[in-house]
Amino acid sequence: MLGEFEYLLITAAAGLGDNAYGVSIREEIESTTGRQCSLGALYTTIDRLEKKGLLKTWMGEATPERGGRAKRMVRVTPKGVHAAKTFYDAVMRISRGAAWVGS
Amino acid sequence: MPEGMQTLLAKWLLRTAAQLLERQERDAVLGDLTETGAGTWRSLCEVLGLATRRELALWCDWRPWLAAFGVALPGSLLLMGTSLSVSCTYQRLTGAAVFGVCAPTGREGFLLLGCQALLLLIWAWSSGLFVGVVSRRTLWVSAALCLSPCLYCLSRFHHSSVSALCLFLFLPPAILGARHALRKARMRPRAVLALAMGATALMIFAWGNSALWYLHWTLILPAWFMATLGRRAGRDAAA
Repeated sequence: MLGEFEYLLITAAAGLGDNAYGVSIREEIESTTGRQCSLGALYTTIDRLEKKGLLKTWMGEATPERGGRAKRMVRVTPKGVHAAKTFYDAVMRISRGAAWVGS
Repeated sequence: MPEGMQTLLAKWLLRTAAQLLERQERDAVLGDLTETGAGTWRSLCEVLGLATRRELALWCDWRPWLAAFGVALPGSLLLMGTSLSVSCTYQRLTGAAVFGVCAPTGREGFLLLGCQALLLLIWAWSSGLFVGVVSRRTLWVSAALCLSPCLYCLSRFHHSSVSALCLFLFLPPAILGARHALRKARMRPRAVLALAMGATALMIFAWGNSALWYLHWTLILPAWFMATLGRRAGRDAAA
């Protein structure tokens, strides 16, 4: 079962599609949750998810706005999609009947 | 400190801290920080945060603990004792007075001295190799743990008859062993096995002549571990 931050990261990366990399994923998480996301948390979680086979990463092209440095691109694997769906279903099931649902 | 100096210092610190990351990750992280326009101090905090997390993650595994606290720390104490013993024996055999004694004690002789010196070399080299192979990325912690008793003893060792440097005879072969591991140099399984068997035979000889302490037997474990590892690697390569 995924952790909360792992779920957020996979969902953000899946939503960003071909534009999923460090900065864009971080911005997506911060704007959605309103919480600060450090690069340390982001990259260590990406590594962990990649080791579990839930994400695939590769080095993209270098761009001038990044000082000629490459992006680390991220793609969610089918296994990652399945894990995120399992997490989402579990949250939905356990939330049924909770006082704050639908309020 | 003027603002310009602070920025220069922060930039230098950032460049230095970024060296803690692997090349590709360093590229991605510094690129992300440039793209978001983060200030130098904030970038430094981000890089240090990531480097700290990376270092801590390594310690979730048992290998760094074994290398640092199972081999490097106790090994340095035993090897330091052996280094001193070899030096004292050599001086006594050559007629120099050591701790007030100038004649060989027990069954001391050049044959036993050679055996002990050879064992010291093998123990130290195989321990360094073991630490490097088992946990390359935490080698600096193992090195610090190995050196801390050395520095403590160096500060306490005051004998006119023996040089304090005699305590550290084991360091050069240990460093060479670790260097061998860092270079990912190929080990020939048969050579490592022969080394472990040879060391065991020498230990039996030294033990028979009352020249070993029972804890010295633990020093042969890295050599046998490497022999087993080499044999397994050879078998996997053949398969």
